[in-house]
Amino acid sequence: MITLSHLGKTFGGAQAVSDISLTVPEGAFLVLLGPSGCGKTTILRMLAGLEHPTAGEIRFGDTAVADASRGYVMEPGSRNAGLVFQSYALWPHMTVAGNVDWPLRVANLGREERRARAAEAMEMLGVAGLAARYPGEISGGQQQRVAIARMIAPRPRVLLFDEPLSNLDATLRVEMRTELMRVHRATGATAVYVTHDQIEAMTMATHVAVMNGGRIEQFDPPERLLSDPASAFVARFIGTPPANLIPVQAGAWFGRMPDPALRGATGHGMVRAEDLALADAPGPDTFAAQPVEVVPMAGRRLVTGLAEGQRVTAVTDLAGPVPSELHFRLPPAPAAIFDPKGNRLS
Amino acid sequence: MTARAGLRARLPAGLGLNLGVLALLALLVAAPLMTILMQTLDPERIGAWSDVLASPLSRNLFWLPALNTMALGLGVAAGCVLIGGFLAWLVVMTDMPFRGLVGFLATLPFMIPSFATALAWGTVFRNGRVGGGGGLLEGMGIAVPDALAWGMTPTMIVLIAHYYALGFTVIAAALATVNGDLVEAAQMTGASRRRVLFGIVLPVVMPALIAGGSLCFAGAVSNFAAPALLGLPVRMQTLSTRLFGMIEIGQVERGYVLAILLIGLSAVFLALGNRLLAGRRSFATISGKGGRARRFALGRARGPLTALALLICLVTTILPILLLIAASLAPMASSLFSGWTLHFWIGEADPAFARGQAGIFNNPQLLRALTLTVAIGAVVAFLANVIGILVAVALTRHRLRGISEAVSQLSFLPMLLPGIAFGAAYIALYGAPIGPLPALYGTSVLLALALTAAMLPFAVQTGRATVAQISGDIDEAARLTGAGFFRRIGAITLPLASRGLLASLLLCFVNVISDLAIVVLLYTPTTPLLSVLSYRYASDGFHQFANAVTLVILSISTLAAGLATLLRGRNRPWLSS
Repeated sequence: MITLSHLGKTFGGAQAVSDISLTVPEGAFLVLLGPSGCGKTTILRMLAGLEHPTAGEIRFGDTAVADASRGYVMEPGSRNAGLVFQSYALWPHMTVAGNVDWPLRVANLGREERRARAAEAMEMLGVAGLAARYPGEISGGQQQRVAIARMIAPRPRVLLFDEPLSNLDATLRVEMRTELMRVHRATGATAVYVTHDQIEAMTMATHVAVMNGGRIEQFDPPERLLSDPASAFVARFIGTPPANLIPVQAGAWFGRMPDPALRGATGHGMVRAEDLALADAPGPDTFAAQPVEVVPMAGRRLVTGLAEGQRVTAVTDLAGPVPSELHFRLPPAPAAIFDPKGNRLS
Repeated sequence: MTARAGLRARLPAGLGLNLGVLALLALLVAAPLMTILMQTLDPERIGAWSDVLASPLSRNLFWLPALNTMALGLGVAAGCVLIGGFLAWLVVMTDMPFRGLVGFLATLPFMIPSFATALAWGTVFRNGRVGGGGGLLEGMGIAVPDALAWGMTPTMIVLIAHYYALGFTVIAAALATVNGDLVEAAQMTGASRRRVLFGIVLPVVMPALIAGGSLCFAGAVSNFAAPALLGLPVRMQTLSTRLFGMIEIGQVERGYVLAILLIGLSAVFLALGNRLLAGRRSFATISGKGGRARRFALGRARGPLTALALLICLVTTILPILLLIAASLAPMASSLFSGWTLHFWIGEADPAFARGQAGIFNNPQLLRALTLTVAIGAVVAFLANVIGILVAVALTRHRLRGISEAVSQLSFLPMLLPGIAFGAAYIALYGAPIGPLPALYGTSVLLALALTAAMLPFAVQTGRATVAQISGDIDEAARLTGAGFFRRIGAITLPLASRGLLASLLLCFVNVISDLAIVVLLYTPTTPLLSVLSYRYASDGFHQFANAVTLVILSISTLAAGLATLLRGRNRPWLSS
């Protein structure tokens, strides 16, 4: 179990992270999701013990590993946590086996124990055949696997990942996602994973904290982020494709199509792409748009148009050529309404 | 027009440029070396080899000097890696205060000619053993043992004080690339600071330690000034002083053989260092988000280590200069701070004083040497950098199989050649008339040629760095407009590279005016140079004059080096926190 309470961090006056509180159970897979600069990596480094919080507390189970009020910080090596760096940080002067073995040596394990654990970790990641190679001699994907093997060999209770897949190509990334989930299940440890890729978050996480500007926008299981976004930021960030946020003015779409379902609100109405349809001709509940792009996806087509300067996307069964003018039909009611600041109204 | 276009289409692009620079390099670098080798293999002179290597003379001619040279090289390399590495570690990896200052000071000793440091050593530690007055310590009533005044120990210390800057630069640059993640990954395992240092950091920078060590070794074995000033008075010979002596007394063939052996010795050790490097896997750290390196907290050792670092820096930079200033004013080095006079600088010749020698600014030789030194420095810096840019363009833009490798090797070769051996090779080739061309010995052209060749490695290196910074696309965009090669160099490459180039010009200039090893064999009374003048004064026992001339060199080079630093900007990545 990992508990963060009112966690904060300032770097020389600049607030990187403020007032973060959340709890995940033992064995959870927590993803910290957000754009670059949102403070997610800072949180991860505080979990690892590489940064010291300036406010709040971090607990692993019943143990406080950092408590800013007491000025207490537990050394990284004593936390029983492992970290996979974005750069992998393999020690270039040691072989693959040497990299996996070194943390075990530092832990003063016996020779037999070390051999067994290193072999087990390398087997699990499928890099046993590379044991004698140096990091410079293996591919990026293999380096990634070695970095994970090195992390799990000492059997940490907390697995930390700092955007580990961002340096891999698209195919490898999908493969490694599965691999990571397998490793996580096999070790039973609690994982904390930092990424800006919402697909990674949606596929791997049991819990997601969507972050923005050093704060948590929403902390929920992945499905809830989709079904019930807490803010306009989350609605824009999550989903493939993300939901449309259509401007509304005094209860009217685009300020000119009044709709009682909007309840007089001003801000944005959220319409999911699958709730938006293409109409053959203009009607009372349609608006016109210039076609921008068409992306085939899973046997259907994502049609994106530009309506009053706003990109709008619908999932359609449109066949044949794209007409020169599109008509999007609005659903009976928006899935959510946000005020101009992005707060959820309903 | 069509014929020319047709010809162009068949020849690879840049062939002319490549062949041109290859021919230049052959004349400047390859030919002198070939000549010196051929001359000693001449049937009439081949006996010089057995004289040097296997004769009753060879013990004193070669084996003892070789032994001294090796001891000097190894000792200096070890000392430089130790001191340079220690300072680099403090500056790059720890929370020592004054890191910026120490990082700056630690690069300076290399700018101070080694004969300046050697002279400064003499002002303090000289004793009466070889005649002449004692130094400051003797004046204070402290007896200086011979071992500290002359010979191996002082030579080694002076050379370490000079070359550790090289070790520092190489090691600091390597330490700065040690990815912060690597260290943090080790900290995550719970490893102690000591263990992280010895298990991760040191092995990763080991290639830099070896590279720095072999550079210092090469510098020490080829150095002439320090062993000549501190070793020769007690007959401690190194290969370079022996080689100098042989040529000076007219035993040219033996000198040439010694030059080849010196080149060989230095090459063997550099190759050994390369072997060690090649045997290891490339440690180029895997890219990714760099990560801020966390600095080691020094804790209680912070104060003493800071003091030690500052002490090392001050003793090797400012102290020698202050000593030289005092010693150029004091009639007696033994009472360094009394009876100061400007006689040694501006005095008229006076039989009652300094054996009738006039102050340096009343010595017509000095004024000629000053103009000639500055002129040669400027010409050489210009020539070397022009060639450097051409070579860089040929190597980075128009690589051709076979030719490019030769160009690259030849332009780097002078780096491995001890300056004095290089000088000897130039005498061998250009000392005598070649066909209709007159002998160049005794002309400033010979000095300029030899120095240009010696500066090529630096010029090519900076040239490549600057040209590589300019993306090939920029040049190709200009090519599409139809601009020719020299037009593009003038309009695109040079303006973009101007800052780096100007800095390189100034550094070349500094190297040239403070060089002694190359010019000491080539100079004649008609072509006096400041460094040789200083050496002559010192070996004749006129230390104050030598100090004064050295200070003139130092002030010119400090000006130029300061300007270069300004132009370069703060190009010291290891100082960023």
